[in-house]
Amino acid sequence: MQLKGSHRFPASAHTIFNMLMDADTLAKITPGVSTLEATGEDTYKAIANVKLGPVSGSFSGDLEVADKVAPQSFLLKIKQNSKIGNVSANVQIGLQEVGPEETELSFDGKANLSGLLARTGQRVLSGVANTLTKQFFQALEDELSQTRQHPA
Amino acid sequence: MSTRITVTVNGQAVTRDVEGRTLLVHFLRDTLSLTGTHVGCDTSNCGACTILMDGQAVKSCSMLAAQADGAEITTVEGLSQNGEMHPIQEGFREEHGLQCGFCTPGMMMAAVDLLKNNSNPSEQEIREALEGNFCRCTGYHNIVKSIQYAAKKINEPEKEVA
Amino acid sequence: MTNYIGKAVKRVEDKRFLTGKGRYTDDIVLPGMLHAYIVRSPYAHAKIISIDTSAAEAMEGVVKVYTGKDIADSGVGGVPCGWQINFKNGDPMKEPPHPLLVADKARYMGDGVAVVIADTREIARDAGDAIEIEWEELPAVAHAKKATEAGQPLVHDDAPNNLCFDWELGNPKEEVDKALSHAHHVTTLEFTNQRVIPNAMEPRSAIGHFDESTDKYTLYTTSQNPHLTRLLLCAFVLGIPEHRVRVVAPDVGGGFGSKIFHYAEEALMIWCSQRLKVPIKWTSDRSEAFMTDAHGRDHVTKAEMGFDKEGHIVGLRINTHANLGAYLSTFAPAVPTWLHGTLLQGLYTTPKIHIDLCGVFTHTTPVDAYRGAGRPEATYLLERMMDVAALEMEMDPAELRVKNFIPPFDGVNEPGYQTQVALQYDSGDYHAVLKRALEMVGYDDFRKEQAEARKQGKLLGIGFSTYIEACGIAPSAVVGALGARAGLYEVGQVRVQPTGKVSVYTGAHSHGQGHETTFAQVVADRLGIPLDDVEIVHGDSESVAFGMGTYGSRSLAVGGSAIVKSLDKIIDKGAKIAAHKLEAAEEDLEFADGKWTVKGTDKSIAFGDIALTAYVPHDYPEGLEPGMDFSSFYDPANFTYPYGAHIAVVEVDQDTGQTKLKRFIAVDDVGNVINPMIVDGQIHGGLAQGIGQALFEGAMYDENGQLINGSYMDYTMPRADDLPSFEIDRTVTPCPHNPLGVKGAGEAGCIGSTPAVVNAVMDALRPFGIKKDLEMPLTPERVWRAMHS
Repeated sequence: MQLKGSHRFPASAHTIFNMLMDADTLAKITPGVSTLEATGEDTYKAIANVKLGPVSGSFSGDLEVADKVAPQSFLLKIKQNSKIGNVSANVQIGLQEVGPEETELSFDGKANLSGLLARTGQRVLSGVANTLTKQFFQALEDELSQTRQHPA
Repeated sequence: MSTRITVTVNGQAVTRDVEGRTLLVHFLRDTLSLTGTHVGCDTSNCGACTILMDGQAVKSCSMLAAQADGAEITTVEGLSQNGEMHPIQEGFREEHGLQCGFCTPGMMMAAVDLLKNNSNPSEQEIREALEGNFCRCTGYHNIVKSIQYAAKKINEPEKEVA
Repeated sequence: MTNYIGKAVKRVEDKRFLTGKGRYTDDIVLPGMLHAYIVRSPYAHAKIISIDTSAAEAMEGVVKVYTGKDIADSGVGGVPCGWQINFKNGDPMKEPPHPLLVADKARYMGDGVAVVIADTREIARDAGDAIEIEWEELPAVAHAKKATEAGQPLVHDDAPNNLCFDWELGNPKEEVDKALSHAHHVTTLEFTNQRVIPNAMEPRSAIGHFDESTDKYTLYTTSQNPHLTRLLLCAFVLGIPEHRVRVVAPDVGGGFGSKIFHYAEEALMIWCSQRLKVPIKWTSDRSEAFMTDAHGRDHVTKAEMGFDKEGHIVGLRINTHANLGAYLSTFAPAVPTWLHGTLLQGLYTTPKIHIDLCGVFTHTTPVDAYRGAGRPEATYLLERMMDVAALEMEMDPAELRVKNFIPPFDGVNEPGYQTQVALQYDSGDYHAVLKRALEMVGYDDFRKEQAEARKQGKLLGIGFSTYIEACGIAPSAVVGALGARAGLYEVGQVRVQPTGKVSVYTGAHSHGQGHETTFAQVVADRLGIPLDDVEIVHGDSESVAFGMGTYGSRSLAVGGSAIVKSLDKIIDKGAKIAAHKLEAAEEDLEFADGKWTVKGTDKSIAFGDIALTAYVPHDYPEGLEPGMDFSSFYDPANFTYPYGAHIAVVEVDQDTGQTKLKRFIAVDDVGNVINPMIVDGQIHGGLAQGIGQALFEGAMYDENGQLINGSYMDYTMPRADDLPSFEIDRTVTPCPHNPLGVKGAGEAGCIGSTPAVVNAVMDALRPFGIKKDLEMPLTPERVWRAMHS
């Protein structure tokens, strides 16, 4: 499954990059994620409750942030195993400032599904992924405006 | 964790303890040994498990047994009355509406529901009403004819259906 | 006189199905029965690093967990293959082991890894989920042609380039090359005949029961041929004595080929029961069925057909890669070879034919016979070629076919037709079926209607297909020479009871075909007794002596003929008893309407009296054995060759690409017909499946070998409102070499219909000048893209 898209945020690349590197913020803004704990430098364990069309459940997954080039890019590696199937995805994230306090986040990657996840409902998954991505961007924007109102 | 439920199945009230996760179809098949209701898929698409609940066609794989508490259920075993075949059963036999017989109970239940709401359906209406039921044997051709036969029989019970 | 043959007798078996009293394998509950759940690989190709079953085994209600290692340690064999094909150089095909559960490596998504035995199905499943498996995922290949390329991952280390075999058939290749190089016109087509999933509505199920007290095994299974399953299970997999094993295939909810084969789960249930000494049931859920029932078709083909100036075919050259999946299913090697290559003559006089074919392993579900098995692939190839050729040569597609038809022959006064690809057709009048179909569709008017519609922007299309198939498999000596590891005769036992009632035991198996009715019609008519006096028994190795099962439209042609042989023996013996009772010479008697009569007199004796005399032989011919019970093996002299002409009329929605099948006309010749109602039903069902392949169905694998449409939400099966009512008719050309003159009707619909629909859609799209062939299934998206590219 291809994952590709972009979104513009009213903030500097630095701000966005730092937010994305912060486990607490990420846990807060990622749809479905209930916990996100650091298991090492740049590796995390996430527990997410997701309903993807016909398939719903609690997923536990490992995340790794690699090839970090602050504040421009990083590679997000996701590995999730569950009884209903496995997902492994590599997503390249890029941040490009397109103006003062305006940054375009782009992502490009591919998710490989196996097992029941692959077999059942794959056709609706890309739609679900789009929805989740939109939710994520919305939450990130909300978080940005919150931070701006209440700077830490 | 089990719940006590009472359901009326084919006219008989039964009270049983069911596990919370037990599907109605498994309750019918495993607990009540009514194996005429079949399981053909795991995504509620095939309709082999269709039964009548309070007179309405329902896929018994898509609800829990516990949800059927207090309901009135008819399965294929309850279709014929006093040894007389239901018109839909007669229709399926006369028009060769079944081959392997696996989808047949669900098909007939869906058809009974259709004929209750529309006693004189057109071919198109019949085909649309069967949207939720797969048959792999008949190509649906004779199932349509079987339901037309039953409709005729229900509307003109005294006349011989040609 | 016939009271039953040729009549639409209502089915004897219907009552139990209509009242919910059918008895399918999953309906059977045995005392003390446990339930099995099979843990399967989520990957198409992966090494098993470790398996931890401790958590599962500790769960309440779990009795035992076995893994592939336990299977390997027990020394049992793998699932055998029933047909051997040799490489062109004479080497035997690659035949890698197919263990009941894998211990080291999974080779397709769905490969069994472990089995949990528990008190309930739910506990077994929960425990299966609790088994921890560490996998090392490996690259996979799903596409047959790609799998043979250099550098692709190997499914089996000892099968280089993933080749199971290469194979050829027909005239010497140089002769075909020459014919094509001299041709006036050559039509070339490259296409895929996509993989489809049989989807019998009843998922597979198996109950293994070892009874320690009697040292006997019973297997209840969803099988189209219980005896063959028993033979393979005993002799090749478990090494247990055949006489201690009973295999029962009770009511079976459809097969379409997918339940012919001996599956790992059948042996596994017996193996587990052997250890735990209780009955154990496994029932597949639909998701498992999508992954593990043998799939069908999956050919990648390049075909070239040469024509002379007048449109006569001068040569046909074919190169095909056939996907066999990860392991060899029971008849897998036979399907693309002897059931496909041999049908490439079609109904045409093509003088030179050559096919080159590779059987290829891939990291996918095994592929084997699915309704039609090889013959739909051959027909699709020929009939698409004919249509494209007609277009290219600006000829009418119906006329082009007529021009190339083999002339009529009855197989009695005129000899059978010898093809270039090994077979000898039995009898046929191929013009007659197409002529009738053209009349039914009103072809002349249709082209006017189509032209009118096009002016109004409506896309109407008509598509033809004429086909022939080889059924009633098959002469044992012939198939033996071609690599079959079994004979393909059938067994029919007729036991006349003392009261004149008749029990018939057939090795054929009905899973929807209505044998209990059709066979009874034959018996009742031959013996001149009421239909009610006949009982047909099938599906139980304990009651039926032996059998080869039901597939390849063989039940009536082969199984019915075996019964007729036994009936002849009964009538012969009855004549001896009657001669004695009537004090007449045997040759002065005639048997008709259920009685023996002294010719030219009114002296007669009824069948029932003779039956009683046979069992109470007080006044009896000297030296004659009492009783009336005969068993016969019938080994056919040839295949049978049903054929027909199918026409589809479609309308394509220009805005959505959606194809509406408006009419479907099928004229088939299946030889003599015993029960027209049942034959019609067989045709209808076949049509729906063939149309399904053309418009809706197709298994899709991603590049990692993941089946990505393995559910009814994703795999499109034809529903009632996707199909029209069918318009069907028949011609009757009896089969000259079996006593019933029947040819078989089970697969016909599925063979002719697919190319007719595709040809109709291509015809509808003609105004768009689409050059490239569209791949099946012709989904709205594909059609829309073709119109807009």
